[in-house]
Amino acid sequence: MSAELPPQVARTREGRPATVLEGIAEALWEEMERDGRVFLMGEDIGAYGGAFKVTRGFLEHFGPSRVIDTPISEGGFTGAAAGAAHMGLRPVVEMQFMDFISPAYDVLTNYIATSLYRGAGPLPLVVRGPVGGGNRGGPFHSQNVEMAFFHTPGLKIVYPATPRDAKGLLKSAIRDDNPVIFEEHKGLYRAPHCREMLPLGDETIPLGRARVAKEGEDLTIVTYGLMVHRSLEAAEELARDRIHVEVIDLRTLLPLDEDAIVASVQKTGKLLVVHEDTRTGGIAGEISMRINERAFEWLDGPILRVTAIDSPVPFSGALEDYFLPSVADVVTAARYLVRY
Amino acid sequence: MGRAVVQDLLYQGYQARFLEAGIQEVAETPVSVDVRSVVMARAMRPSPDGRGDLCAPGHIGPGPLLAFGATPLEFLRQLAGKGTAPAAARTGGRTWTDLRRGLIGWDGARGALTQVLAGAALAFRQTEQRRAALVFEELAATETGAWHEGFNLAAAQRVPLIVVLDAGDDGPRGDPARIERLARSYGTAFDSVAEEPFARIFSTVTDARNRALAGQGPTLIALLPRNAAEPWAAHDAFVEWARAEGGLSGQEVRMIAQAASAGVEHALRRLAKEPAAEPPDALAPVYAGRLPGPPWTRRDPPEPAARG
Repeated sequence: MSAELPPQVARTREGRPATVLEGIAEALWEEMERDGRVFLMGEDIGAYGGAFKVTRGFLEHFGPSRVIDTPISEGGFTGAAAGAAHMGLRPVVEMQFMDFISPAYDVLTNYIATSLYRGAGPLPLVVRGPVGGGNRGGPFHSQNVEMAFFHTPGLKIVYPATPRDAKGLLKSAIRDDNPVIFEEHKGLYRAPHCREMLPLGDETIPLGRARVAKEGEDLTIVTYGLMVHRSLEAAEELARDRIHVEVIDLRTLLPLDEDAIVASVQKTGKLLVVHEDTRTGGIAGEISMRINERAFEWLDGPILRVTAIDSPVPFSGALEDYFLPSVADVVTAARYLVRY
Repeated sequence: MGRAVVQDLLYQGYQARFLEAGIQEVAETPVSVDVRSVVMARAMRPSPDGRGDLCAPGHIGPGPLLAFGATPLEFLRQLAGKGTAPAAARTGGRTWTDLRRGLIGWDGARGALTQVLAGAALAFRQTEQRRAALVFEELAATETGAWHEGFNLAAAQRVPLIVVLDAGDDGPRGDPARIERLARSYGTAFDSVAEEPFARIFSTVTDARNRALAGQGPTLIALLPRNAAEPWAAHDAFVEWARAEGGLSGQEVRMIAQAASAGVEHALRRLAKEPAAEPPDALAPVYAGRLPGPPWTRRDPPEPAARG
């Protein structure tokens, strides 16, 4: 059977390790097989298989009524997804790049996020797509969009860091009765070091639960997405100096797993928040405030953050490397905190 | 059109007219009750079991809501933000959605409802249901990208959607030739409604619905202003038409009007006695399902914890 599958959805069935992109493709495929209400909409996702080929072969297998190539109109098809969800379907909308979600901001925040609150019922839909820098995509193909939506009650925001999480969290997002924005870092899509064996069978990972990516006692790093890997690299380097960092991978940003962050800070007494998104209005500010509310007494130093600088994402490689948080940035901040 | 349908229409038309006064009393918000919208909505196939057609009345007022089975009391509760309102006062005005009856509420953004109804109509086709969707938009919606994105998608996918553009007093924008060119540019059918007999208004929507269900895609209907200066001229003409079309006697018309008036007055009296919304209840359902973590509000702050 697996010989008939598109290659990006066959890895686990063939007993081979999968990338983040393959984990996402497997989740979509399996959810569409499991539930006839699930269907896909987006630009070039059918005949072309998507800009990153996540949905290659889906059109041939599921047909044009479940894999819908849309006009280039992110607001229009996101609004249409809301209507389909009202009627009991479970649409998954692909943004070719998440930078293009901005035309759908109105319908996402005013219509979709408020639906349940307005008594219009839940709107189970997923808006997913690639985010993040490091690919020399410049200001319009590299953004992280989470904080544009973080302030909107009614939405959930998911941002996985590993193939297993990408698959399990996307399955949960599709089954969730709330609208979910699902961010996929392009730098992780095909990253060889991220390949891992995924469990056979129907594994879901609950939304709203962080994971401890690495245990430690000296300092807590709270992070997500690609920065989980940067932070783990930093933790390895710090371990050589017997500094033991605990790395918390948030996995879901909204709702935020506050308990997991608080528990870790109560253990280490130090908190560093690392995110690729820009600094001002980034999630570090919210996390810092929550620790202030719930674990101030446990802090043995200031809460620090390592983030991108407040700028549009630059196109030039040299500028982008300067713009993005690096392993060295994380190590420097961690050493400062540990010495404090 | 049968006598029973005409009686229904007349009753709902009167209710809409009497509601206009009630609405201004409750919310101090003038609502343009265009009786033609009642006729247009009634030409669809509403059903109280969630399997009928869909209607998004948008800005047009309570007429289509009544045609889809809402009661004056429900509408007034919603408008007045009572705790008993369908949306428990978490939202008010014309934002009421009742999927069981086939009603989709407005979020205030022009064009968004065309997107949403296009998607709902797409779902009808995907699930092979013989249902169609009707959305009322102000003509000004056609100046937004949102409307064009929604209608373009509907046209490209040939979904069973009827879009009524209310030209109101939009002056040159309301030129029917311009609206027809708009429809043609998307390759969809076009029709317009102005001072035609109400049977023709009814059949305009019926025909559009039949085309939609036959897979011929959306229809754009221009709802053009009437020339009469007197605001209730349309309604009075409607009563005359209903009387002739349904063969109703003057006595029957008066009885229908009295029943509609009594219903609205009862709703207003009852509304005055109903409670306002209670904050703890009103603010609960932002998410479906229970969220993890300790959600607190400013009224329920966390206990300061000591490290010990």
